Amino acid sequence: MNLKELYQEIILEHGKNPRNLRKTEGFNKDAKGNNPLCGDNVHVYLKLNGQKIVEDASFEGSGCAISMASASIMTDLIKGKNEHEAKEIVEDFLGMIKENPELKSKYLSEDEKTKLMCLSGVKQYPMRVKCATLSWHTMVSAFDEKTEEVKTEN
Amino acid sequence: MNIDQIKKEFPIFDEKIQNNDLVYLDSANSSQKPKIVVDRINEFYTKQFSNVGRSVHYLAVAATNLYENTRSSVQKYINAKDKNEIVFTKGATEALNLVANTLGQSYLQEGDEVLITELEHHSNYVPWHFLRKSKNIKINFAEINEEGEITLEEIEKKITPKTKLISITHLSNVTGAILPVKEITQLAHSKGIIVVVDGCQGAPHLKLDMQDLECDFYAISCHKMYGPTGLGVLYGKKKWLEELPPYQGGGGMINEVKKDRISYGELPNKYEAGTMATAQVIAFDQSIKFLESIGIENVMKHEADLVEYGQELLQKNNSVKLIGNPKNKGGVLSFTIEGVHPHDIATILDEDGVAIRAGHHCCQILHDKLNIPASARASVGVYNTKEDLDQLNDSINNCKKIFNL
Repeated sequence: MNLKELYQEIILEHGKNPRNLRKTEGFNKDAKGNNPLCGDNVHVYLKLNGQKIVEDASFEGSGCAISMASASIMTDLIKGKNEHEAKEIVEDFLGMIKENPELKSKYLSEDEKTKLMCLSGVKQYPMRVKCATLSWHTMVSAFDEKTEEVKTEN
Repeated sequence: MNIDQIKKEFPIFDEKIQNNDLVYLDSANSSQKPKIVVDRINEFYTKQFSNVGRSVHYLAVAATNLYENTRSSVQKYINAKDKNEIVFTKGATEALNLVANTLGQSYLQEGDEVLITELEHHSNYVPWHFLRKSKNIKINFAEINEEGEITLEEIEKKITPKTKLISITHLSNVTGAILPVKEITQLAHSKGIIVVVDGCQGAPHLKLDMQDLECDFYAISCHKMYGPTGLGVLYGKKKWLEELPPYQGGGGMINEVKKDRISYGELPNKYEAGTMATAQVIAFDQSIKFLESIGIENVMKHEADLVEYGQELLQKNNSVKLIGNPKNKGGVLSFTIEGVHPHDIATILDEDGVAIRAGHHCCQILHDKLNIPASARASVGVYNTKEDLDQLNDSINNCKKIFNL
């Protein structure tokens, strides 16, 4: 267990000043997620253009440093990706948070991988994994236009 | 009262938790177990086990006597008038569901009003919500004041001619406020209103006297009272338990079963359908003995000292904001730190072996009222010391350091 690994500067910084913490104007996809155990909630908004590329992504909600940083980094790097690419990145991220030592997706730049790897410290804190993954599951739900609220797995 | 000695009675404090000594500040969630309780479960299963109340063989008779012996101990401990006013349940949650369900079946009518408070745990709200859905009863909420208390005046204000029942916590698991249950009951009874008390936090930490409180029902959670999990106690006035219908049907709760008719058993069997948590009931007798050996007055004094000390410590700590400041306060210190989410606080404290709870503590109504999504909560038990609270404060400072506060 290493708190320094969990609470890296970049996490604290994103947690404190989350990017894209707003509601995208003219969004065409959105979904809500919540963590019933702790009451944290997130609402993800996506704006896809004619070519189905994410033009803007944003989120509203409240939560711990991990969940806010995760949503912040996610909404930043998903811009410019299409649905297929975004979903592959989600799979890659969820795999890394649970077990994989590294990220493999070809749709992620080295810089993006480094940023995401900052969340890998969560692995050692099983109770906190859901904090890191809630916004990602919610984004998939937005792509799939699911109306049901996402609940984090226990 | 020698805390070092008392602490030695709890084997868990001999364990290292992630290489740390355990600073257990989560007793409002569940208390740790003294060795005599753990040993009693083991002894019963290894040397004395049998089901109770059914067979006539030696072990069955002995087990039945042990089981009923706990009922008598509980009766004595809470000063109930009659042994049959003690019903074992699988928890305080089931006890409250039992009350809501049976009153809903035969007493409450469409349009009747139930008064609860903003302090209530979900287990003292959701069962009444079921009746709101099924019977169209109305639920009103008594509101907290600035200090996080529910006053007698507020209860009086919220009573209407349609109020049939008041269901309140004895001690808030978030603000620590101790409610004036006796006064509320007197007021309620003068208007013909039933009083149900959620005693989850009250029972382990306050002196209980049902004949003095005079409430109609009182729910107890045994695992918060240095006892086993899977067990609760419902105290109910005899006249109510006799009058109300059974809750669950099955073996043990019947008198006579025919193809065209069934009659139900007498108290307390009427409410104890199926095989009960036998070992837990028998071991719970040891929890009561443990509390009696210290004396509840001593427990109350010790915990009041701790909470006063903890409150002063946290009040002096910049950026820590305590939730509620009730005059009559139990051993609960709920707080937030500006700029740090409670879950982050709990994870960081855990690294030092300090176990607290973070979240809404099953009190979403209260957190909505306070306009916060969650809080951190340190709660004390009989085994805690001032050093534990010093460690809490030190770990909070470490948390602030990590978050550059």
